[in-house]
Amino acid sequence: MKKYRRHRTIFYHFKSIRMAMLFSFSMLIVFALLTFLLISLNYTEETVLDNSIDYTTQLIEQVNADIDSYTDYMKNISALVTNNSDVKEYLFDKNLTREQQDELYSGILTEFETIMEAREDIYNIAVISSDGRYIINDGVDKLNEYVSLGDLDWYQEALFYPDETVLSSSHVQNLIKNNYKWVITLGKSIKNPYSGKENGIFLIDLNYSIISNMCESNSLGERGYLFILDKEGDIIYHPQQLLLYSGLKTERTEDVMSSKTDHFVTAEGEKSKLYTISTSEKTGWTVVGVAYTSELMKNKTKTQFMYILVAAILLIAAMVISVIISAGITKPILILKDSMKEVKQGHFENANIDYIADNEIGSLSKSFNIMTTEIKNLMEKNIYEQKQKRRSELKALQSQINPHFLYNTLDSIIWMAEGNKTKEVVLMTSSLARLLRQSIGNENEVLTIEQEISYIENYLTIQKMRYKDKLEFEIDVEKDIYNENIAKLILQPLVENAIYHGIKFKNTKCLLRIEGYSRENDIIIKIIDNGIGMSEEVLNHIFDEHKVNYKSNGVGVHNVQMRLQLYYGKNYGITYQSKEGEGTTATITIPKRVAQEENNEKA
Amino acid sequence: MRKHKHPIIIMFFLLCIIVSCIVMIALGSLKPEKPIKIIYIPKIIDDTNEFWSVLIGGAKMAAKEYNVDLTVMAPDAEEDYEMQNKLIERAIKQNPDAIALSPANYTETTEMAKKVVQNKIKLIFIDSAVDKDVEDAIIATDNFIASKKMGEFMKKFVNKDTKIAIVGHVKTASTAIEREKGLRAGLGEDESRIVKVVFCDSAFDKAYSLTEELLNKYPDITMIAGLNEYSSVGAARAVKALGFTDKIKVIGFDSSIEEVELLEEGVFQGIVIQKPFNMGYLGIEAAVKAVKGENVLKNVDSGSQLITKENMYTKENQKLLFPFLGSQTWESR
Repeated sequence: MKKYRRHRTIFYHFKSIRMAMLFSFSMLIVFALLTFLLISLNYTEETVLDNSIDYTTQLIEQVNADIDSYTDYMKNISALVTNNSDVKEYLFDKNLTREQQDELYSGILTEFETIMEAREDIYNIAVISSDGRYIINDGVDKLNEYVSLGDLDWYQEALFYPDETVLSSSHVQNLIKNNYKWVITLGKSIKNPYSGKENGIFLIDLNYSIISNMCESNSLGERGYLFILDKEGDIIYHPQQLLLYSGLKTERTEDVMSSKTDHFVTAEGEKSKLYTISTSEKTGWTVVGVAYTSELMKNKTKTQFMYILVAAILLIAAMVISVIISAGITKPILILKDSMKEVKQGHFENANIDYIADNEIGSLSKSFNIMTTEIKNLMEKNIYEQKQKRRSELKALQSQINPHFLYNTLDSIIWMAEGNKTKEVVLMTSSLARLLRQSIGNENEVLTIEQEISYIENYLTIQKMRYKDKLEFEIDVEKDIYNENIAKLILQPLVENAIYHGIKFKNTKCLLRIEGYSRENDIIIKIIDNGIGMSEEVLNHIFDEHKVNYKSNGVGVHNVQMRLQLYYGKNYGITYQSKEGEGTTATITIPKRVAQEENNEKA
Repeated sequence: MRKHKHPIIIMFFLLCIIVSCIVMIALGSLKPEKPIKIIYIPKIIDDTNEFWSVLIGGAKMAAKEYNVDLTVMAPDAEEDYEMQNKLIERAIKQNPDAIALSPANYTETTEMAKKVVQNKIKLIFIDSAVDKDVEDAIIATDNFIASKKMGEFMKKFVNKDTKIAIVGHVKTASTAIEREKGLRAGLGEDESRIVKVVFCDSAFDKAYSLTEELLNKYPDITMIAGLNEYSSVGAARAVKALGFTDKIKVIGFDSSIEEVELLEEGVFQGIVIQKPFNMGYLGIEAAVKAVKGENVLKNVDSGSQLITKENMYTKENQKLLFPFLGSQTWESR
């Protein structure tokens, strides 16, 4: 058992090599594909994210640059206005006449109107001095009398940085009467040339059209968006500003402001977002791009879907191919197996395999072919040798006359000679002489029935003389079977049997009758005696192999039967009928010569 | 050979099933959702009324956010509940997923509201309620709390000679009823100083004339409270026109440009503002949730805030007081 166990592998459980191959192929393919899939999916995710970060970074830097140039443009306008001597004169010169004032006023107003007409993104444009002179837009709008300029943050900041142009956060402009709008105010202080102090302010209120255009024209997927924060982290622009201001939504402005890197991803599973941050040096504003990772990954989903689809197709293709390949590889094995099955059942005729390949199975097939041929030869040789053995045994038997018989006969002759029974002595001696000659002189295995009958006649003559009170014999053989052949030493043992076991023990005179005739293709020879007969039990065991009876010449019924069947096949041989007290009939059936020859040829 | 083929066929079938499953899932995830159909019936559509405009704006914003097919229809006058009932009937016939409603009348709208529910349409109340509990959810300013703030604020100005008048909007509207209650609760024992409550039927002119009449009739009135935009502005206009700005303190409800101006001018001592944008937005949001069968809070307070001249421009309050319209792009979209 131990020796076999070594050969048990994982494939031990499979009913066929093909299934084992298919199974292992499938496992390998699935494993390889899954590994590939996992790696590529991960890789896709990473690259998609990296690409998105690169893309949004570029995008928001561009937006930032646009905003910078936009505010630069506005700053140029403010520089133009604040350095305008007409403006300064109008605001600060206290010695102007009414006419001069009106002239300056209308000049500045025209300039304002020109700017307002050109720029739709400007809500308000104004210059205001701290002592209350002002020009707003088209001159119709008035200052809100309830608001003090000095309270406004952006105004204080503009005065604090006189050389800078200040940008406010988003706020409601309440400086102008009857007009409350959410704006971004760009303010620059104006220096009073007479006092040398910053006594005035120039302001432009920007609406959100340009900024929102800048932000919205750049798409970050379907739901992605851009928003802008000021230095303090307050929202300047957000596509959902209204919702944020209403507190219905929140934005991660604090995360953005505290973020040390230029991007971060919020981990919220389905709602995970990628924040990309870019802060402008000029405005101090921070542009933030927000992209939904689920959307970025929409491409990923598509790509992944493609990957999976391709993998599935590959899997099916690989399966089909592996089925074909395994069939190809295992086909010769199956042929070999079927062939072996044939051999197992003893059919050597179809055992030879035509398959020829140079691989292991090829050499296995070749070896198998050689092996089956060899076995076939061996088996034939074996049968032949068995036959030869029987024959030589037979020869050995035939070549000698039972010494007991010879001794008994010679003893009988002596007794008869002493009694001067010359006639009988002559008959018996001549019969014995003929018997010996027939026995010695014939090397052939097969005799004619005539020869066999004459031999048995001599034998019976001697026996009759020995058992003169008991034995009478008759031979009735049709002449036309005289030339037919019969194996040597068939009749004699049966006749001997009949005498020694049937007749010898009967007290009355017995008749031994030999009949011979042909029936269809067979020859029937019957040895009939009216001796003591046999019990059923004896009859049943008549063909058993007995110990050699030293009294007979050692040829039992068994031996005769064996030889008959060896010569003529299983269909031929001896049959016995017997009734206790009434006698026994042994019937020998053998084929005629024509049939014999055919039989011999087959063998 | 035949019996070997069996497991192979099974394997193929399995593969086919797996592949088709993947395809189904992938296709399923790409399929867009069908929009939910909601009809909103406010009390009025009036561009001059900031409260309702902003509320509808909020509703539209939510509709956009949640991919809702939103239709808004309303009568031309706030107290016209008969017209509103007709509109509700029309809305029911269109068989939307949900109807959002701001009931014009506390009692007369009830039957129609019941009919909406009977037609298996989700019913969300925005701003106002009816006298029966029929709705799936109500999103409104807690008017009692809001006007209580008003009352408490007014209490600061009360002295021994204080006489108070209230200008309400619609006597039968739930909001008017609740606000009066809240106001009285806020005033506490000074409730007794209320000399008269009048109703202007949500019209500026009527509020103005009623205030004039009141001030003629009760010249010792020192404080007037308005219970909505129409009544507050009408009362404030009258006080300003009669030159009683210093003598009479006016406290308003809701916000508009005019109210803001009047607040800056000092006619109003303070105003209590609602959050109409939030109300509209949350109303549609609740309707969407109700349609989807998600958990909906039955009663949502959209909040209120007392604004005075001093705090009106703080970061938080200017956001409440001035609805951010940006470049108006969100509205035109």
